[in-house]
Amino acid sequence: MTTTLLAYTPFLDPLNIESWWYFTLIPLAFFVSMAYKAVRVQSFDHYWRNVLMMTIQIVLGIVGLGLLMFLLITQIMPRIAAR
Amino acid sequence: MPDPHTTTPTSESHHDLVTGFDPAALLAAAALPGAGHFLAGDRRRGLHIGAGILGLYATGIFIGGISVIDRKENDWWFIGQAMVGPTTFAIDYFHQSQLKEMTSSGVWLTPDPSVSKYRRSIGKPLDIGILFTAIAGMLNIIAVIDAGFPTRRRNSSF
Repeated sequence: MTTTLLAYTPFLDPLNIESWWYFTLIPLAFFVSMAYKAVRVQSFDHYWRNVLMMTIQIVLGIVGLGLLMFLLITQIMPRIAAR
Repeated sequence: MPDPHTTTPTSESHHDLVTGFDPAALLAAAALPGAGHFLAGDRRRGLHIGAGILGLYATGIFIGGISVIDRKENDWWFIGQAMVGPTTFAIDYFHQSQLKEMTSSGVWLTPDPSVSKYRRSIGKPLDIGILFTAIAGMLNIIAVIDAGFPTRRRNSSF
């Protein structure tokens, strides 16, 4: 069987992110912060610092929620179900 | 109507002093993210808003491919994506008319790599691409409202 390879075309073909999809949280948080702070800030003097802080807060928040759900599902739920 | 020549030390533009409704800015923001603020005179804000929203939108399409914009396959998500503006409709028209291969009964054909013009996205890339583009649309709703109904901004600590 002959396998034909189709050359990758940016913006037409998808990226192969099956093994590192969770890192896409970083650009998601960055661009959301960028747009939100651009609407909210009164002055752009400390804009990029505000964007960086919000990005870090979003990433840490999502990671924290993920850890919480992991603990809930792997540790707490089995104990509740066993009763 | 406030005097357009009046300024305060902390204000960056006339747009910040005007309260009420600015239909031109609202329509411009709906047509292109950031254009509403740019048209109203708050150019720096408009550029940053546009860069953020369009950057998110473009990143979503870069990750998931053009398949993420599909009015027929992902109709509910398309509503969110459409909030970015006519760009989404243009991309969807191109996708439907130039790239997709379907039978007359609407059954999707598995693209033959030797003849297909692109690889259709599935799984994680599709999910994340759709998420990025839909969130970009929802962020633009905030930008449209802010452009159309300008208010005085508080010092942002959040």
